[in-house]
Amino acid sequence: MKGTMETRQIAVIAEHRNGVLTPGTLETLSFARELESLLNLKTNIVIAGKSIEGLTYDIAGMTGMDVIGIEGENLDLYNCESYLAALEKPLEELDPAYICTPHSAMGYDLAPRLAVRLKASCITAVEKIGKKGKSVLFSRSQWNGKIILEKEPVVKRAVLTVLSGSWPEPDGRPEKTGEVTIITIAAETKNSRTIEIREAVRTGFDLAKAEVIVSAGKGLGKEENLPLIYKLSELFPKSAVGASRAACDAGWLDYGHQIGITGKTVSPKLYVACGISGSTQHIAGMKGSQMVVAINTDPAAAIFSVADYCIVEDLATFIPCVIEKYHKLFSSHKESE
Amino acid sequence: MRILVCIKQVPDSEGFITINESNGWIDFEGSYRMNRFDEFALEEALRIGEKMPVDSIDALSVGLPRAESTIRKALEMGASRGIHIITEESSDMSAFETASLIASFAREERYDLILAGVMAEDDMQSQVGPMIAEMLGYPSASSVIYEEIDPERRTLFAEREIEAGKRECLEMKLPVLLTIQSGINRPRYPALSNVLRARNQEITTIPSQSLQKPVKRERMVALRYPEALSKGIVLEGNEGEKAGSLLQILHEKSII
Repeated sequence: MKGTMETRQIAVIAEHRNGVLTPGTLETLSFARELESLLNLKTNIVIAGKSIEGLTYDIAGMTGMDVIGIEGENLDLYNCESYLAALEKPLEELDPAYICTPHSAMGYDLAPRLAVRLKASCITAVEKIGKKGKSVLFSRSQWNGKIILEKEPVVKRAVLTVLSGSWPEPDGRPEKTGEVTIITIAAETKNSRTIEIREAVRTGFDLAKAEVIVSAGKGLGKEENLPLIYKLSELFPKSAVGASRAACDAGWLDYGHQIGITGKTVSPKLYVACGISGSTQHIAGMKGSQMVVAINTDPAAAIFSVADYCIVEDLATFIPCVIEKYHKLFSSHKESE
Repeated sequence: MRILVCIKQVPDSEGFITINESNGWIDFEGSYRMNRFDEFALEEALRIGEKMPVDSIDALSVGLPRAESTIRKALEMGASRGIHIITEESSDMSAFETASLIASFAREERYDLILAGVMAEDDMQSQVGPMIAEMLGYPSASSVIYEEIDPERRTLFAEREIEAGKRECLEMKLPVLLTIQSGINRPRYPALSNVLRARNQEITTIPSQSLQKPVKRERMVALRYPEALSKGIVLEGNEGEKAGSLLQILHEKSII
């Protein structure tokens, strides 16, 4: 685990649940691979947990990358304070130029503090790597995805979080297995302790199983327009109603409907985004949909950049129009069903 | 109990943002308002103040002179003191710089609790809050959807929203910094009495130059518009024709 003078390193901090790496971590490994090939660097995976030796060897075999496993009694569940204490020294020794984590609830909790502690630059929700001369640039979206910023770290270290859905999960198994180092630490956590993970409250509908999802955003305008969303979804069998965070915050739909980084990730056959601007937070949760239809009054809305069919209209008048036409065109089909 | 709430003034999402090629930053046509996530943070602080004795709920913003209107909004909602760290720079200020300025102010004030929104709506970095905590050595939790303080034991129980609606429950010792997720409460409308009080209330102003000068750790190289990820087809015609085309497409794909 020595950081040689010639080759700077990349460190990926792995996130795991129930003995399995999270999908975001796998995507972050693909991100690291791209960075590796661009700069001729070497990636090390750093993973912290209570008893993770088995997992550590699995990962080394699966990825071919060197893995540093940090074991400690207080590392059973993620906790910012105990993770920082556990990671600080091994990372200082490894001295990576880039430290990467998924832009998950763990990643954005940990990355900014880690950056301050390690005197590093911090760029969150990275969605693309670019190169301009000798500079490596990291792209991220701002202002509801309307503009993309390219940033370059100007200190010798950077902590990066990788936006989900921006890189594929790696496929194939490497020929050689990576080296494993296990460190045991006795870090004492004084000021913060994670007690438990509470499971989600179950809702009566299942967004994950729906073949068609009709989602409402802030463009719904008012709660009185919500029946339009339900009526549109009823045109499709096996459908469900989703929502952007803004629609949930407005109190129109409860948080069980929310799609995005903090909500659910879905990949239906058809996703109909109604009045959704398309923040990166939301897009990350529905990018995997097979077909996307977007209805929005703003032709510059970011949702149109991921849509297969773009409709610049006000949903309040457009949806009734679709429903009326549907009944004219297909009412005979419907009756025969 | 002394509470600090960090608030940011952001461009309203209804406005128009374009890239300004000459100054390498953006032009914005529209109004400015308080970051929605910070409204939830401020509301949470006010609710704590209703449940237990609180000495002060300070609302602080780092920003251009125009940010004053957002600080005044915080006073109208019920904050006891407004603090404005005035910056001159109009382009991208890094989270590290903002956090350094706030930490340099807050260090002297010895707050028991610091609250901020989980992110700013405009840049969505989720960095400033945890960075302040690290600079001050406070424990922190981000994306908090429930909190409860035990003033006797000086502990804070928090639930963080993690993936797929799950919650991570943790206990921390005060002083603590939390970044607040939307939906934790319903932010109030200002009461008339507070609006009147806020109108003439003095706001403490601090020129950013008088605080510890942070150095940027990353630089912005370029701004660009996103390229279309998929070559989406824009449906043409009037509303009825577009509705017809959509149904036709869905029918051809055997979805309807």
